[in-house]
Amino acid sequence: MTTQTAAISEMESPVGKNGTWWFLASEIPIFGGLIAAYIVMRLGSAGWSEASSHLNFTVALLNTFLLLTSSMTIVMAHAAVQRAALKRAAHFLGLTILLGLGFLGMKAFEYSTEIGHGFLPSSGIFWSFYYGMTGLHALHVLAGIIVNVVLWSQTVTGSLAQQPHRVELAGLYWHLVDIIWIFLFPLLYLA
Amino acid sequence: MDSVHERHYLIIWLWLIALVAVSVAAASVLPKPHAIVLIFSVAIVKAFLVAKHYMHLKNERAIIYAIALVPIVFVMILFLGLVPDFVWHLTKK
Repeated sequence: MTTQTAAISEMESPVGKNGTWWFLASEIPIFGGLIAAYIVMRLGSAGWSEASSHLNFTVALLNTFLLLTSSMTIVMAHAAVQRAALKRAAHFLGLTILLGLGFLGMKAFEYSTEIGHGFLPSSGIFWSFYYGMTGLHALHVLAGIIVNVVLWSQTVTGSLAQQPHRVELAGLYWHLVDIIWIFLFPLLYLA
Repeated sequence: MDSVHERHYLIIWLWLIALVAVSVAAASVLPKPHAIVLIFSVAIVKAFLVAKHYMHLKNERAIIYAIALVPIVFVMILFLGLVPDFVWHLTKK
């Protein structure tokens, strides 16, 4: 790496990180607003406990495990790419992708079971919130998976060596998706 | 040094899993009002662990804290603004 390239890399990394954090910051009011509206509606409407009892708690618990584990694997990928261990980074990114796909697969199974039992987004205010919040979250997981697949392919081809900080930025996004689920899980399945 | 980092991340993951177990146990054992307080306190601790250790906030610059905290403050203002609604609904029951 030339001195000029190194200087550019040093300049690019903080800009990318600031931009990523701005993006993450914009996500907080979206889910924060949804959660606040959910709490107000829940306190003001009867029968929500009965409606939430139809959710599949076991699947949600397993999904929590998958997402928490994927947060660990992507930070491991970040640690690996920092020491230029691209093969190990590819291994952990691949695991993160599989865990994310596992989360979406379980979510699809959960949705299909609920829809099969007649619980549609139009079945009541609880179900509207449930499908709205978990659906929006699932879309975020899908977006993260796509980014991780791109990064994984770059680790395999070796081109990520020139932009290693991308794994950190993708990781920041993935961890935020994890944090959102940390609040959605108790809100929908435990409370 | 690298294995030390990985071990650290693994320990944080174990804490996160243990805290999930605490939440699930609280939901099934404690009376609902107490369980809700504990469950959401635990959720805040889990989010803090992820942000501090996995998102490396403990090593970040002040500007990153500023960017992250501003929307959190806005959301807290939103929640505070809704407190009269919460109280009204709770006392109505």
